[in-house]
Formats: sequence, structure tokens, C-alpha cells
Amino acid sequence: MAVSVETIVARPAAPEPRRFRHGALLAVVQHGYIWFWLAIFAMPFLATLFYSVQQTGGGLTLSAYQYVLGSFRDNLVLSAVSTVVTILVNLLIAIPAAYGLVRYPVPGKNLILSTLNLSLYTPAAVMGISLVIAYAFLFRIPQSFIGLIAAYVVGTFPLMLVPIIVALRDLPMVYEEAAKTLGASRWQSLRRVELPLLGPGISAGILLTFVIVFNEFLVTLFIAGPNTTTAALRVYTLTRTAGFQPSTAALATTMQLVSFLVVLLFFQVFGSRYLKGTYLI
Amino acid sequence: MSRVRLQEVTKRFGAAVAVDRISADIAEGEFVTLLGPSGCGKTTTLRMVAGLIDPSSGEILFDDQVVNAIPPAKRNIGLAFQSHALFPHLSVARNIAFGLEVKGRAKQETAARVREMLEMVELADYADRMPAQLSGGQQQRVALARMLATDPRVLLFDEPLSALDRNLRDTLKYSILALQRRTRKTAIYVTHDQSEAFAISDRIFVMHEGRIEQSGSQLDIYLRPQTEFVANFVGDNNALRGEVIGVERGAPGEPGQLLIQSGSIRLTAADYAGLRLGDSVLAFVRPENIAVMPVDVDAADPDTIVGRVEQIVFEGPTVQLLVDAHGIPLRVAVSGLERLRLLDAEQRQVRLRLQEVSLVRDRVGQPAAIA
Amino acid sequence: MAQTTLPQSLPAEPAALPLTEARQTRRQTLIGVGLLTPAALVALCFSIVPLFYLVQVSLTRGSSFFFTPEYTFDNFQTVGTRYVSTVWQTLKLASLASLLDLVFGYPFAYILIRKVRYREFARTMMTFPLFGPLYLAFGMFYILLPNGPFGSILQAMGINVANYLFSLPATLFAMAVFTFPFMVMNMGAALSNVDPVLEEAAKTLGAKPWQIFTRVLFPLSRGGILAGFLMCFGWNLGVFAQPLLLGRLQEQNVLSVVMYDKGLIQFDYGLAAAMGVVLMALAFFVTWLSLRFSRGALGT
Repeated sequence: MAVSVETIVARPAAPEPRRFRHGALLAVVQHGYIWFWLAIFAMPFLATLFYSVQQTGGGLTLSAYQYVLGSFRDNLVLSAVSTVVTILVNLLIAIPAAYGLVRYPVPGKNLILSTLNLSLYTPAAVMGISLVIAYAFLFRIPQSFIGLIAAYVVGTFPLMLVPIIVALRDLPMVYEEAAKTLGASRWQSLRRVELPLLGPGISAGILLTFVIVFNEFLVTLFIAGPNTTTAALRVYTLTRTAGFQPSTAALATTMQLVSFLVVLLFFQVFGSRYLKGTYLI
Repeated sequence: MSRVRLQEVTKRFGAAVAVDRISADIAEGEFVTLLGPSGCGKTTTLRMVAGLIDPSSGEILFDDQVVNAIPPAKRNIGLAFQSHALFPHLSVARNIAFGLEVKGRAKQETAARVREMLEMVELADYADRMPAQLSGGQQQRVALARMLATDPRVLLFDEPLSALDRNLRDTLKYSILALQRRTRKTAIYVTHDQSEAFAISDRIFVMHEGRIEQSGSQLDIYLRPQTEFVANFVGDNNALRGEVIGVERGAPGEPGQLLIQSGSIRLTAADYAGLRLGDSVLAFVRPENIAVMPVDVDAADPDTIVGRVEQIVFEGPTVQLLVDAHGIPLRVAVSGLERLRLLDAEQRQVRLRLQEVSLVRDRVGQPAAIA
Repeated sequence: MAQTTLPQSLPAEPAALPLTEARQTRRQTLIGVGLLTPAALVALCFSIVPLFYLVQVSLTRGSSFFFTPEYTFDNFQTVGTRYVSTVWQTLKLASLASLLDLVFGYPFAYILIRKVRYREFARTMMTFPLFGPLYLAFGMFYILLPNGPFGSILQAMGINVANYLFSLPATLFAMAVFTFPFMVMNMGAALSNVDPVLEEAAKTLGAKPWQIFTRVLFPLSRGGILAGFLMCFGWNLGVFAQPLLLGRLQEQNVLSVVMYDKGLIQFDYGLAAAMGVVLMALAFFVTWLSLRFSRGALGT
């Protein structure tokens, strides 16, 4: 009797370690695969970073970074300014547009949205060539700052629009109604209730605009002039004209580092929920 | 003077008529409930009173002033939502202060009022919590405090308890009534739950397909339903189709007695509907108003009938019987100690006495002009 | 008198009331249109008009559009004869890179959705490629430099990086890495819509892992996979920086690069515009297909 009890207990126990080892192996392979690709994503950045601090003949130096705040300063300032201006213009036109599309009975919403999103699906070079021709011969604003901003706005405001539309759709009407019955005017309700509640969606739009505009070089390459060379375009032109220099690497590193820190900050504060269905993730 | 008055108020959504020419007078300090199944137009009516939707036609008056053109923000109402609708980004105190802040009240006054409201709903220690950190009942209490903070003229409740579980509903409905009684404000309460409506209302409006089917006190609605819908919707009922075979005039001011024949069952009922000899009627008898006796008791009484017990369900406080009375199935509810004697009555004959019968004119087969 | 006035005033009332409601709706529509106007104007001026103008220029002979435009199909004929290899090269690179994404992205998306708890971290890391193909190609270049730190490690591992510095594999790899997140995003969305219970049910019914894949997982996530592939393909059609920095002349013979040369170096706007129209048509077609399979980014 005692023997049979033992075999009953022992039998399921015996294959357990093997199955466990098999599962563990599978897990290692699976997570290894993920980490392999995550490393691939980060590798180009890390390579650029190493190259920018590498000293000829060994050792590390930050001397390449003196150019970042030196001869590249104007480019960086232009990048920052055009990014901020684009974000502001995007906000100004995307928030009303999202309201119009979600909260008002406008006919042909899908067609309007597709039209507004058209620039999202246009390859950058096509946008570049069409704008450079239109700016030169139709609007007569070649190589101008305003033309640069207009290109950025048209290319990125759909990225602002989509998360705000998603957030506005997810926002129950009941909060607006509650504000109304409590005596709030349309403006008070917008400022005190809706905009704070739309905050994550709007922030997602800001993040997307930032990531794209701050690093845009291809449309810029087509339409920029000597006075409108952004930092990203500078990386490109330096690479084409001066070859691969540590100073160029320093600029590229700086741009990516700033971008990554902003993304990191955003994910810390808001998570990635409002980025679903958009350019990022 | 009535505080809130609806005159022929209608709301159409496209071709569909959600609210159909509703008229009602609600007195100062009265607690009125709009009771009805979902889709009956009760919420639409409430939202028109709040000003959140515009009537297609008809007028809404507050204190004899037409308010149709006045936006909700200026109507000075308080609305409690089904989903409490507390602003998730504001603390409890800021939520309660919201209505006062947008009206531009002084900071100190606002703070004092918020404290007062928090104490009233017994949540003084929760001022700095966020809504998400509160339980469902606490959230709804904060919503009540927020609604009362601005001292509105009319309180509107849109099924405020339907998202809560049953125990909480039972306590909160009395809290709502107590708050209304204390503040003496006119209140309109929308619900599909008749026990809620019965517990708190001065007057109940039963709504069906955009119309008010019947208005009156709990007793009126329950004991003297005026339409088939009300009889079926409010509480359980047995419906018997029959004909008036005898009329007995009552004393002045008293309803007369009618004799009804339904199949082989004969009933007597008070006449509240102005019925005449030969009228087709629907007679309603509530399961709990049917007395069950042994077959040999009162055998000579013509108002009793004999039936056969088909099914017995013991539900604790009551026993539910299904009795076949001359081919007509009757539901009978027995409570009290008597119910325990019936537990083994299945397949046995019992004698029934049908009491408190209410009558509704049977419109089936009648000319449409009457309806 | 009364009989003549009453019929005149009575019918007017019920007719007037629905009218106000219609007017209300029209007012709401007008507000909505007003709110959309700034966005629509921007899209009109800087997207739609330039694109139509591009089509017009592409149909204009030589530089005659400065004076009296002379319409012709010459530019498209040139693209269809002398630059047909450019179109093919573009399609080849885009499809190969997207295929790489498909093959490597599917397991990545599956493991990420089903097995991984550090998804937020993975998403954060996946933003690096999205900073743009330029930095990516730039970084890849340093990785493949034979005397760089990564190059020497790779050399030691037996990979002769010098062979890859300017090559098709390097170009394709940089293209695939850039669009990898798009693929994973679409597949992830499709896979997370498949209830894991279905896989368990298949397992209890005796299905082997590959059967679960072919009979349950793949059929249910097909739309997202296809949409992801097409989205990557659409992005890769406009490839520019990767071939320029990592490819040979052969790889650099793609529409965006040639278009830039023709338009901004040689000032042959007509030909550049024709290439732009071809690329635009390809990209819009692919996007339209992609949106059909994913039923729109917003689920409408």
C-alpha cells in the first residue's frame, strides 16, 4: 500500500524538471529575441555616440561637442524654434478641427479626415518636390521660414489631430453636460474640464509633432535655403560634403538624445495609451 | 404657482417621437418621479427640463417663466447623472467648488460652502481625495454635494443609483429623499426601478412610449392603474379579460361596484373608470391580493372560485403558487405563517378569493377613435 | 372673420416649429465647418494645391511652363523608358525590406504581446528608429566602419564588415529597421485583438503549435499583418537616406534620390514632377490598400 502511494506522488513529479527546463529554454529564446531587436534599435545611436567621443589614437573626449554649441548653434536654434512654432500652429488648428469632426454634425467626415490626412501618406520627397515647385512658381515664397513652417504644419498636424480625435471620442459628453448644468459657460467648460481631460491626447500630439519636426531633414532638404538649414538637415549636408566627422556625430547624438529624453519623459507621465493608432507604436 | 410646468412638450429625433405632448405641473418642494422602462422618454424629458436638449415643440416653464431659450448654465438647476460624472482630474473639494467657481463666487465663501456640503454628505475627511479613490457610494454622495452647492432651484436626478449595487441603492435613495426634504427643493427623479420610485416620491408619473400613462400617488398607481401598461409594469398582476355584467351605483362621492364576468370567473370591483354595462374590460388582480382557502371553506360564496395548484415555489418571505382556475392560470403570492401550510398543496384543489380588483377599459376590438 | 383667420394662422404653427429645429442643426453644422476651416485651408494650400500643381508641371514640356505651358506626356514617357530601372529598384528595395520586417516582425510582435511584461520599455526603445532614417543610416555606417569599435568586434566575430559598408544588405537592413516599429504596431494591434483563450481552446482540442498558428492565429490576424506590410511598403517607397549613405550607385537609383537630382540639381522640374507623380500614385495606392485592411486607423 505504501509503495503505491509513493508511486502516485512520484509519478507526476518526475517529468516536471524536464518540462520546466524546456519552458525556461523557450522563455530565454523568446526574451532573447526581443532584446536582440531592442539592441539593434539602440545600436546605431550608441555607435554614433561612441564615435562622437572617440579620440584619435584612443581615449575619450567631449571636444566634438564644442561644435554643437558653436557652429551648429544657429541650426539647433532654428530646429527648436521651428518645432515650437509648428507645435503651436498645429494645436491652434487641430483642436478646433477635432471638435468639429467629433462633436458637430458635419457632413462627409470620413472624406474630410482622409483629405486632412493626405499629407501623412505622401512620401517626404514627393511633398518636398511639390512644395519646392509650388513655393517657387505659385506662392513665390522660396527658401523662406514661413514656407518651412507651412510644410511642417501640413505634414504633421494630422499627427496632432488623430490622438485628439481619439481622446475626444473617449471623453464622455457627460462631463461637458455636468459643467453646463453647474453653470459653466462654453469657454469655462473647455478650459476647466475638457482641455485638462484631453491633456494626454493633446500631449501625444505634441510629442509626435516634436519627434517628426525636430528630426525632419528630407522635406527640408528640398525647400530650405542657406538661412533655413535645420540641425537635422545640417547632419545630412555635412555627411554628404565633409564625410563622417566626429562633430557631425556629436550633433546627431545630441538630436537623438534630446528626442529620446522627451519621449522618455512623455512615457513616464502619460504612458503610451494615447499614442495607439498613431505614428508611434 | 407651480415651480416647473411642462406644456405639450414634444421631442422628435428624426422621424421617431421620443416624447409626445407631455404636460405636467410640479409644485414647489414636490418630489416627483418619472417611472418607466428604458426608451419611454423619461430621460429625454428630464434632459429637456435641464436644457441639455431642446424640445421640438411645447414649452417648459420655471415659476411661470418660459425657459426654452435659456441655456442650462443659466437655468440654476442641479443634475445628478447616472454615472456620477465627477470630474476625474479635480479633487472632491474642487469638484464641489466647481459650480461656485465658474459663477465667480468669492474664495472664502466657496471654501465655507464646500465644507458645509462635505459635512452634509458626511465626507468631511475626503476633501482632498480624487474621485477615483472613492467608493461608488461616496462618489454619488460627492455628486449630490456638488449639485447642491450652488443652491439650485430644481434638482434633477437621472437614474443616479442605477450603477450602484443593491444595498447601496437602498441606503442612498433615503439619503436623497432626506436631502430633498431638508432643502425643500423641487425634485424630478428619473428611474426604471419602481421600488425606488415608491420609496421617495410624492407623486409618480408612469411613462410609456413618450407619454405619461398615469400620474398619482403610490396607492393610485399600485391599486388603481388606469391603463393596461401601468397595471402590468408596476408590480405583478394577473390580467383577466371580461365584460361588465352588473352595475351598482355607489353613494355620492363613492365609487360604484361593478360585477365582471371573465370566463367562468365572477369578480366584483370598484368602478373608477366610468364603465357601463356590457363594456369589455381588463380586470387586474395582484398575486398578493388573492386569498387562498381550503376548498370547503365559504363554499357557498359566489365570489370565490376553485382552482388546482400546479406549481409551488418557496421564496422565503412568500410562497408563489400557480393555480389553474377553470383553465385560467393565476399567480398567487401567500405570505405570513399561512404560506407554510401550503407547501405540500401541489396537485390539490384550493378555494381562491380575488380581492382589490382594478379595471381598465379593454381597447382591443374597440373603435380606434376612443384611443 | 374668425373662420377665415383661423385656418391661416393654425397650419403655420406646427410647420414653424420643426423649422427651428432644422435651423438649429444647420447652425451646429456651420459651427463645425467653421472649426474645420483653418485645418482645411492649410491642407488645401500646402498639400492639395501643390500636389495638383505637381501633376500640372509633370504634364508640361521642358521648362515651357515659365511662359506658355505646353502640355505633353513626354516626362512620363521618359520615366517609363529611361528610368524604368529606377521604378523597379524602388519597388524591389521596398518589397525586400518590408518582407524582412514581416518575417522578423511577426515573432517579435507575438512575443511582445503574449509573453513580455516590460512592454512599455520595449515601446520606448522602439522609438529610436522613428527619429528618422538619417540618424539610423548614419549610425549603421559607424557600426560597419572596419576601424570603428563595433567594426573591430564584428571583424573578430568573423564578419568582414568592409564587404557590407556599401551594399544591398546594409541598405535593406537600415530600411527594415526604420519600418520595423510600423510592422510591429500593426501586428501587435491585430494580435492583441485575438483572444488568448482561442489559442488555449485550440491547444485543448489537440492542435500542435504550427496548427494553432496556421488555423487560428494567422487567419484572425491576417488583416493587421497585411496592413502592416503595406504600411511598411508605403514608407519604404520613399526611401532616401539609407541608399545614399549605405548603398552603391545601384541602390541609390531609387525614385526619391533621382527625383532630387533631376529637380534640384539639374532643374528638370517636369521630369522630377513626373517621378513625383509616379511615386505619389504608388504610395497612395498602397496606403489605400493598407487602410482597407486595417479598416482605417480610427476604426471608422
